[in-house]
Amino acid sequence: MTNPIQPRLTQVFRFVRCSYADGVAELVYQFDQGEELIERVRFPAAPAIGAGHKQAFEAALKMLHLIAGVSYYKAGVPPKIEVADGPLDDTTASLLDALYLHGLAEFAYRNGLDLRGRINFPCIVSTHAKTAPALHLPKRTLVPIGGGKDSLVAVEAIKQIGGQATAVWVGNSPLIASCAERTGLPTLNIQRELAPGLFELNRLGAWNGHIPVTAVNSAILAVAAILYGYDSIAFANERSASAATLEYEGQQVNHQWSKGYAFEQMFSDWLHTHVAADLDYCSLLRPYSELAITRAFAKLTPYFDVFSSCNRNFKILGPKPADRWCGQCPKCHFVFLALAPFLPKPRLLAIFGRNLLDDESQAAGFDALLEYHDHKPFECVGEGAEARAAMYALSQRPEWQEDALVARFRSEILPQLDVAELALEPWLTPAGDHRVPDRLQAALVAIG
Amino acid sequence: MKFGGTSVATLPRWQNIRELVASRRAEGARVVVVVSALTGITDALKHLCTQDDKGKRIEAAKAIAQRHYDLLDHMQLAVPDTLASRLSELAKLAEEGPASLGELAWSAQVQAQGELMSSSLGAAFLTHSGLATQWVDARDCLAAIALPNQNERTKLLSAMVEAKPDPSLNARLARLGDVFITQGFIARESKGRTVLLGRGGSDTSASYFGALLKAQRVEIWTDVAGMFTANPRQVPGARLLQKLDYEEAQEIASTGAKVLHPRCLSPLREPRVPMLIKDTNRPELEGTVIGPEVREHAPSVKAISARKGLTLVSMESVGMWQQVGFLADVFTHFKQHGLSVDLISSAETNVTVSLDPTENLLDSDAVAALASDLAKSCRVKVIAPCAAITLVGRGMRSMLHTLSSVLAEFGQLRVHLISQSSNNLNLTFVVDESVVDELVPRLHEMLITAGALRTDDSALFGSSWQSLYGSGETVVAADAWWRTACRDELLALGVQATPRYVYHLPTVRRQARELKSLGSVDRLHYAVKANTHPAILRALAEEGFGFECVSPGELKAVMAAVPESAPLLFTPNFAPREDYAWAFTTRATVSLDSLYPLEHWGDVFRGREIVLRIDLGRGLGHHEKVRTGGSGSKFGLPVEQIDAFLRLADTYNVTVRGLHAHLGSGILDAKHWGEVYGQLASLAERIGSVDFLDIGGGLGVPSHPGEARLDIAALDEVLRKVKSAYPHYKLWMEPGRYLVADAGVLITRVTQQKGKGSWRYLGVDTGMNSLIRPALYDAWHEIVNLTRLDEPATALYQVVGPICESGDVIGSDRRLPEAKEGDVMLIAQAGAYGKVMSSPYNLRDEAEEIILE
Repeated sequence: MTNPIQPRLTQVFRFVRCSYADGVAELVYQFDQGEELIERVRFPAAPAIGAGHKQAFEAALKMLHLIAGVSYYKAGVPPKIEVADGPLDDTTASLLDALYLHGLAEFAYRNGLDLRGRINFPCIVSTHAKTAPALHLPKRTLVPIGGGKDSLVAVEAIKQIGGQATAVWVGNSPLIASCAERTGLPTLNIQRELAPGLFELNRLGAWNGHIPVTAVNSAILAVAAILYGYDSIAFANERSASAATLEYEGQQVNHQWSKGYAFEQMFSDWLHTHVAADLDYCSLLRPYSELAITRAFAKLTPYFDVFSSCNRNFKILGPKPADRWCGQCPKCHFVFLALAPFLPKPRLLAIFGRNLLDDESQAAGFDALLEYHDHKPFECVGEGAEARAAMYALSQRPEWQEDALVARFRSEILPQLDVAELALEPWLTPAGDHRVPDRLQAALVAIG
Repeated sequence: MKFGGTSVATLPRWQNIRELVASRRAEGARVVVVVSALTGITDALKHLCTQDDKGKRIEAAKAIAQRHYDLLDHMQLAVPDTLASRLSELAKLAEEGPASLGELAWSAQVQAQGELMSSSLGAAFLTHSGLATQWVDARDCLAAIALPNQNERTKLLSAMVEAKPDPSLNARLARLGDVFITQGFIARESKGRTVLLGRGGSDTSASYFGALLKAQRVEIWTDVAGMFTANPRQVPGARLLQKLDYEEAQEIASTGAKVLHPRCLSPLREPRVPMLIKDTNRPELEGTVIGPEVREHAPSVKAISARKGLTLVSMESVGMWQQVGFLADVFTHFKQHGLSVDLISSAETNVTVSLDPTENLLDSDAVAALASDLAKSCRVKVIAPCAAITLVGRGMRSMLHTLSSVLAEFGQLRVHLISQSSNNLNLTFVVDESVVDELVPRLHEMLITAGALRTDDSALFGSSWQSLYGSGETVVAADAWWRTACRDELLALGVQATPRYVYHLPTVRRQARELKSLGSVDRLHYAVKANTHPAILRALAEEGFGFECVSPGELKAVMAAVPESAPLLFTPNFAPREDYAWAFTTRATVSLDSLYPLEHWGDVFRGREIVLRIDLGRGLGHHEKVRTGGSGSKFGLPVEQIDAFLRLADTYNVTVRGLHAHLGSGILDAKHWGEVYGQLASLAERIGSVDFLDIGGGLGVPSHPGEARLDIAALDEVLRKVKSAYPHYKLWMEPGRYLVADAGVLITRVTQQKGKGSWRYLGVDTGMNSLIRPALYDAWHEIVNLTRLDEPATALYQVVGPICESGDVIGSDRRLPEAKEGDVMLIAQAGAYGKVMSSPYNLRDEAEEIILE
């Protein structure tokens, strides 16, 4: 045992090594000369790696090592980053630089840190562009399930076009497991065990905060796609994920940066050039707004009693709505508001077990969603204008307009808004770029 | 005697029926047995009716026949002719389809076969086993009547029978024999077609027969012993109701109880035929008798029920005031949108109604459309999801004074509607659905404590559901130490001098060891405020307990009594600055529960490790004053201030090592600690430095006889489950009362007696000066006359102390033996919050404390 270190005073963060055997990937990190931090990712019932896939697997595994390091790096945010087996090529390094800078922007903002200029992955500029061969991966899709509405909309769209897919999730959330089961798809549950040393570092006063977890999961799924044989990974990140939460000292801070289109493009390009030319990474919901997605979800009645978008980590589930929806967090507020225009009121209230819009103590939470008096919350929620459109729609409905917060919106907030900008319909049409591969285009259409 | 589908589906069940019928015969009664179809057969017949394909119908009929053949096989009986003809009729109906009879009549005819077959089979079995049984076609006895509001469907599939006593039927049956078997669920209408009686039809048939024959009684044999004071799934401690009148039973059935269909009682009311509900598997249990109203009991609430999923529509308008036809217009809209109105309450300018949860309500735009229509004439508000909580009991208004604590409980909630009908049978509150699961068990408990639900009346109330049907071992309190082993010693102590507190250390140790069996708990602290006697502190230190103290005084007392190795916790509330400063000079772990100390006295805490006590935003417990969570409570840091606290902690380099929450006292439901634990753990994940979670204490100690104890094994399982989700946090608990309450008694002697009207007061030589819990918390302590422990309890006393306060009542309405001056009285469960809360008020002598090793 080495002496305990002071995480915030460390000088170097080192990517020591990564390895894979018998379904378990070991990712090893280190601060200064401290104890090695070993994370394990467990792939259940893993087949042997196909002979022609070794190189692709190694590349994906190495990327996982580099991306998952963000959970550890942030404990100390030391000035120097070292990669034990030598510098990276410049595309890889610039992806990681961007991910660590933008993915940790909220963390930095909350802790009063400035990471600009601090994150430099070692690299050598290569003269020729890297390419990866096509591996003729089986035509089936990994669909990550999060327990919330978005991934369920994606799943149902793929089911509707008769696409082959597996519901996959990382970690042991009982909520996600029950949602995954309800999809009726084959399931794959990958386990991620954080290095126990990280808890120790936390006790010793490590920096703490939000990390770009979607990037980590994406890297895990890239490894899984090569290992089990899938030609596509279809996330369910929607359009507003690309919008910044706030701007702070000239830097855009986006809570869900790794769910945004910028990361999607970088990572998908990187997979095409470094892992397999025929491994597609996309988001099936990219052209859609939150409201378009909630409208689609409102038709998926069988999921109403299992799903939850609440961000409180329910590790123990009960049968009551309050066991899935805390009713206090921005996610609960937003999903409630965004579903309301599309569901009969008694049905919506039965999902949540209470009426959040008739509870005056929730005013501040809904104000933040509407970007009234406050910035958008640090959560994966829709844009302020979207929330305003949903609220406006409710304010015009007799069954809603007497509820405390809807009445307050009518009397206090609505007079300050331009009604012309509050229509619901524009939000329901798809717009903008996406990277959905040809094979899944029909599913994209099925959602709208 | 009526037997349902599961009761007629197997050979052992039929043997059971045979014995029950034989026993009634032995009593000299003639018996009519009413049976349902074999379990699953009615559904199979219904399914057959939905098949358009003839082949599939024939196949389904064959499968149904096979079920009956299998059972006959078990009975080792040949197929009786009567059943054979039924089966061929079914085969014919299946082959023909609905064409000739018409869809509804055909469907009724098909579904009726289930009961016709089971009764034929039953007649054969009973006769074969030596009990000559006549098969009677129910359709020859029950004539359906036509009602003006019926359509063809209700006429055929949910018919009504007018059942007036018919002596000619009695005479006809008497000529045939003594035991009869007939069918539930079916009747015949004026055109001679077979009709069905709809849901709950078999029970209703039994009632019709009971009324027609003016029977001695109707017995409904089912899978539970009767009606209970609450839904046992919500309230395991719900008591069996042994006696109800028709109206009460009907009210309970229509507000939630599933055991009886509400409509099966009305036929019995006029001929005054009683109904008895019995458990087929446990015929020895008393069951519920439902009969004409009886006046020999004190008024009591009989049951509490909850119906969930209600939607309220509140309509507000001055337009309705003294306006002809306003309500008629309003209700037209409800009808138009297919919404059924249940409860109604009105004020001069507001009408609020409740809607039952129908598919129409949940999945169509009915509510939106209704609201748009209503909005034209009034302001509409749609309130959901709601639940109706109903108290049922005859003479509800005369009991209002006993309901004050219950009403106070509602006072803390959003009550959307209160309704009480003129029949004075119920009192209904509509509240937010989210509170119901916790509220109902608590109200049930409160009703008992308040003497509104008189469970002490053993003529009305039977055993609890838990003790009758509870899974696993029922946890019954062992015989108290003072009643058995130490009785003589206590009596001698009492004769010597009173008042005295006596503590039994073996009981303290037993309780301590029981808690140590909680494998997932890493450390237990005794909350010393319950009892600071040094012998108790030492005994618990020997058991390895740490100690939780709330003041420097308690810390000093503990440090003087226990070895240096025992861990200490200092958990004060609104303590002055110097308390914290002093506590840091000891080995105690200090906890904070507000921002103020760090904001104003940050230097006291600089560089220290502390525990943060959090208010999770709701309180639980047996009394308002012992609830320690929720905004109305002064304890704990509200969750929304945690971030601010952590920023302050960072400023002073203070490390939050533990999180603590405590919901209140007297909690008997294991899952609450699981919830607190889970919530603390999810908060802890946001704070890196946390090492342990302290889920407090509050482990309930039941006081009323028959109340179930806290199930420690269940608690252990709940905690284990949470721990496996959050293995990186150590788990602490801090029980107090649980360890010491049962270990202590207060002994006192009778001084004088007084009669005032019908009230009898029994005076003892100490009161609220020694034991303030009854006055402060309405706490119920068992009181016995130790001198006359074995004498019959014939007197009803108000047991009072000598303090000049009208609240100095230790126990009201206690059944005790006739007492004499000088008798030694014992007040049980006085080991916790007894001596420590005593006062010198009135300058009466304080109670001495005695330890039994």
